[in-house]
Amino acid sequence: MECVVQGIIETQHVEALEILLQGLCGVQRERLRVHELCLKSGPNLGVVTSDVRLLCDLDQPDPTWTVKHVGGAMRGAGADQISVMVRTMIESKVSKNSLRMFYALGYKLDHELLKVGFAFHFQRTAHISVSVSSVNKMPKVHAIDEAVPVTHGMQIVDVTAPATPENYSEVAAAVSSFCEFLAPLVHLSKPFISTGVVPTAAAAAASLMSDGGGTTL
Amino acid sequence: MEGGVGLATTTQPQQPPPPVVEKLNPKLEKELNLESLKTRALSLFKAVSRILEDFDAYGRTNTTPKWQDILGQYSMVNLELFNIVEEVKKVSNAFVVLPKNVNAVNAGILPVMLSSKLLPEMETDDNAKREQLLQGVQSLPIPMQIERLKARMDMIAAACENAEKVLADTRKAYGFGTRQGPSMLPTMDKGQAAKIQEQENMLRAAVNDGAGTRLPPDQRQITTALPPHLADVLIINEAGKIALPGQSNNFNNQGMMQVSGTQFMGRSAASPSGPNFDNTASPLPYSNSPRATGMVNAPSPQQQIQQQQLQQQQRAKLMQMPQHQQQLLAQQQQLRQTSMQGLGQSQIPALHDLHGQSQQKFQTLHGQHQMSYSQPMAAAHQQFQARQLSGGHIQHSMSQGQLNPAMNRHLNQFSGGANSALFTSAQGSPSSQMIPNMSSMQSQTLVPRMQQFGVSGTNPQRSHSSQMLGDQMFNSSGMMQTQQTQTQQPQQQQQQQQQQQGGYGNMQTNQQSLQPNNMMQNAQQRHQNPPQ
Repeated sequence: MECVVQGIIETQHVEALEILLQGLCGVQRERLRVHELCLKSGPNLGVVTSDVRLLCDLDQPDPTWTVKHVGGAMRGAGADQISVMVRTMIESKVSKNSLRMFYALGYKLDHELLKVGFAFHFQRTAHISVSVSSVNKMPKVHAIDEAVPVTHGMQIVDVTAPATPENYSEVAAAVSSFCEFLAPLVHLSKPFISTGVVPTAAAAAASLMSDGGGTTL
Repeated sequence: MEGGVGLATTTQPQQPPPPVVEKLNPKLEKELNLESLKTRALSLFKAVSRILEDFDAYGRTNTTPKWQDILGQYSMVNLELFNIVEEVKKVSNAFVVLPKNVNAVNAGILPVMLSSKLLPEMETDDNAKREQLLQGVQSLPIPMQIERLKARMDMIAAACENAEKVLADTRKAYGFGTRQGPSMLPTMDKGQAAKIQEQENMLRAAVNDGAGTRLPPDQRQITTALPPHLADVLIINEAGKIALPGQSNNFNNQGMMQVSGTQFMGRSAASPSGPNFDNTASPLPYSNSPRATGMVNAPSPQQQIQQQQLQQQQRAKLMQMPQHQQQLLAQQQQLRQTSMQGLGQSQIPALHDLHGQSQQKFQTLHGQHQMSYSQPMAAAHQQFQARQLSGGHIQHSMSQGQLNPAMNRHLNQFSGGANSALFTSAQGSPSSQMIPNMSSMQSQTLVPRMQQFGVSGTNPQRSHSSQMLGDQMFNSSGMMQTQQTQTQQPQQQQQQQQQQQGGYGNMQTNQQSLQPNNMMQNAQQRHQNPPQ
């Protein structure tokens, strides 16, 4: 289970956001370069198709693979009152043979993405991960070097925190209070809800990027 | 600054207070306005104590204070104090500080406090600053110095003014000046906003759904070199498809299957169907390759051609079957619990085969055919063409006279479902036209069976049939009506033509009235006349 919010930010403000996050999180940023393969099961494997995401972290000298299954989000009146999306999510590290295994099981490649950016992982009541990345698609299957951004000039901001059914309300509160700090630069909301950009982001970015005018008299 | 440059006051010339009477000069007194000063000081005192009380209350009740209110009160107090001090300063020139009590403790410090001269360090500081200021103009004559300094002051004043202006503007922009929040937000023009919205939707859809990132099926071959992290995971065979390591020779197996179709009869285990199954029980490259989107079990064109060839061979064989064998076939089919045999058989070998048990009987009969089910009937539906769907029903009509009692019994059992329609179809009269139909149908049905293996353990025939009947293509199931009327009028020939009667709904209603066959017949005959 995880609590997740998403937002968009214009590429020109990404640096300012990084500075803001650096100040808020207090940890070093980590480079993010992930090849995401989304596999879908065929109709012979079941009535309802299931999809599975294989994430390959290309940043390490030895690529590490993770398998992730994202489930449906919590619905209902209670869910509407929470400002983050709470959904089931199962994640595990796997070996590089996982892709072969899923193909052998009958899964097929539905689509693939390359996400390039940076991420911060820190602890603030809950283990929160913030990632800012540009999403690229590949014109040819598995052609990572030819990846082009889906939207040039706009990047996606992902704030996620793992949760359990017992503590998801605290985690949701922690995530939403953290998101308020990012309000000057980016509006965050549940994944399928569009928010637009922050109109005053330019001014906020400028103030973040400047040296603050702290010269002594 | 030196004491000489003090506040420019506009007070009246001060008169030293008369030494005898300790009373202030009345004019000065008026100037001081002691009364008002006292009231103001008192009100200030009250305001401060009120604030303190409020804080006390907050602390006791543990509520969070409304900071806006408190800030307002603070500013009010601040302003009031400032005004009072200003007022006092105005007349302070008239007064001199006089120590009330001189004793050993403060005797040492008093002269320093009373003196108007600066402390030594303050003096040096002062000198240094003055040096800095007059750096450039020391050498010049005094009036010029004054001028230069004035010019400098003007410049500084102008810079300060500009800075103030900018601050005020930004304050307005963000609403910092007022405590009511931003009053004016910078807005983007509509076009830009729309563009951003569109981009945002694209991006969010790409991340969450993968929309916009999927390649069309014809581009799903791997043509470029694999990146390093995939290079050792996937193996590309010469055809450019992803192969699972260790199965690169499976492509040949498919060809083998076509030729030796009869060898596969032995398989009875339930397994995911597909014409591409080979005996090694390993997943097939076609089924699992990412290329084959959606059509999991779609046979390749090669297979189809080969299957069609086989079909033709089978058809030739069947045509030669003697009549009694055909009747036997039909009889056994009727006695089975499904009669969906004919439905949905077309030239293209379908993955799902509705025959079920009756086909098993076929197997024992002929020893050549494989009865099988296929699990993904839904997928296979897509492949169907409604060309010769109806032919199969005619098979049931072969053994008209012999089986009517038997059929009636079965009809009673299965009147509820679609199957019963097929049962009644079995009661139709054979005719010369039907026989070739049946054989052709059989050829169609039997040949695909050879290709399929998915025999299920349970008896899902009912569900299959209902699925089939629901399918659009099986409007021809309406034709079953036509055959229902043949129950006791074997001489009717009109139902030989398969008619699409938009049928499912009709069929159902008709099935329920199977008991009174006569009545149904009449009704159906009436039904049929218009479409014909």
